[in-house]
Amino acid sequence: MKVTVDGSLCTGHGRCYSLAPDVFEPDDEGYSMQRDVPIPVPPGQEELTSRAVHACPEGAITATES
Amino acid sequence: MTEARVTSRDMHTDFDIEDVSLAENFEEVLDDLVAHCPVAHSTVGKGYHVINKHADVRKAGQDWRTFSSADGWLLNPPDQSIPILPEDLDPPYHDTWRRVLNPFFAPGNVAKVEELAHDCARRLLDGFADKGECEFVADFAAHLPGLVLFNSIVPVPEADLPQLFQDIDTYSFGPLDDRVPAFVRVYGYLDAFLKRRSEEDPRGDVIDAIVAGVDKDGEPSPWEDKVHTLLDVVFGGLATTTHAMSGAIYHFATHPEIRRDLIANPDLVANAVEETVRLYPPVVAPARTVRNDVEIGGVQLKAGDRVALNYAAASRDPAACADPAEFDIRRTDIVQSAFGVGVHRCLGAHLARLELRVTIEEFLARIPDFELKPGSAPTYESAQLRTMKNLHLVWTPST
Repeated sequence: MKVTVDGSLCTGHGRCYSLAPDVFEPDDEGYSMQRDVPIPVPPGQEELTSRAVHACPEGAITATES
Repeated sequence: MTEARVTSRDMHTDFDIEDVSLAENFEEVLDDLVAHCPVAHSTVGKGYHVINKHADVRKAGQDWRTFSSADGWLLNPPDQSIPILPEDLDPPYHDTWRRVLNPFFAPGNVAKVEELAHDCARRLLDGFADKGECEFVADFAAHLPGLVLFNSIVPVPEADLPQLFQDIDTYSFGPLDDRVPAFVRVYGYLDAFLKRRSEEDPRGDVIDAIVAGVDKDGEPSPWEDKVHTLLDVVFGGLATTTHAMSGAIYHFATHPEIRRDLIANPDLVANAVEETVRLYPPVVAPARTVRNDVEIGGVQLKAGDRVALNYAAASRDPAACADPAEFDIRRTDIVQSAFGVGVHRCLGAHLARLELRVTIEEFLARIPDFELKPGSAPTYESAQLRTMKNLHLVWTPST
């Protein structure tokens, strides 16, 4: 599983790095540090990551299986 | 008409965000709008539309070019209203302000406030925990946000705090006739405070960042924009957070099973914070101006139309969140619009979450078992912002 945060939509709500801190992390302004690049999801983090994808108020995160 | 009408007014075609029936039947009105009226219409003032569905609120909130904030967040502003910035701005000027403000309210900086917030909360609880009763809004929730903010991220000299607190309190919760004079005093204070700080050595705090200002079309931002930015930073997080704190404690007073679950499972407090802001939203619906003709929710809007983004309704849309009326601290599908959607995402969201978490942790640790004072019920002041005006609680003090 990989996830990508759309940098044009992320506004720094922080739901992703609060719910799945092993996958997402904040930058100095509160946005997701990694934007517009696929982020690999470590094994065992799939469920929290899926919750983060759903929880994003901007719908900025998409998950891909590969 | 097949659906039961929950108010005397037809909120689909004759909506009024200031109507007392909305204040008193908040959840019922919102749920009816979400279920049956994607876009409501109001004839109040110059008239406006209200966008109610989660997907439509998200779409409009993210499209600042079509849904502009430049005419202000109030649906029907008074003649000489003072803007708050960057709330009442569009990109790019909006974004240049946010870029300098964001770091002070980002999770890393907000985390430094944790200990202070716990200390402030404990001190407030010290004031009434042994009495077996409190009026939670006046005794706790109205104070904590200011105590934290003005002793940390927005440092105001301690000697100035009592008067500033009193004026802010009057402006936010006082008799209507006293509010404008109180606002004028706060404005004057913040203007003079900013001026004073501009003459002192920089300290690297958010006040310095506001004094330094940003670029506006190749020119330095004017002084009044700096004062209006400080206004936003100060007022954005006070009465709003007060309401969410009150909402949480009200909910736990009336749902003992939830507070027991939280006491047994403190890891769920973060979820409880999200459910609190989802179901007790302080910001109901900020305004936008339509810049280009656009269809949304099946309704054709024209350039110049005013709309409200109903964040409060969007958070109760079953299309986004199953059984939305249920305050469920174990749900795994929380998605809420309480902090806004799009570029105007609440600057203080991370600080608000911390203050709410600390409130829940400290209150339940000190007063694990409490209920509404028999015969009492909270009252609300509700328009584009919503505030619980009082919350009377009773408990058996521990000896």
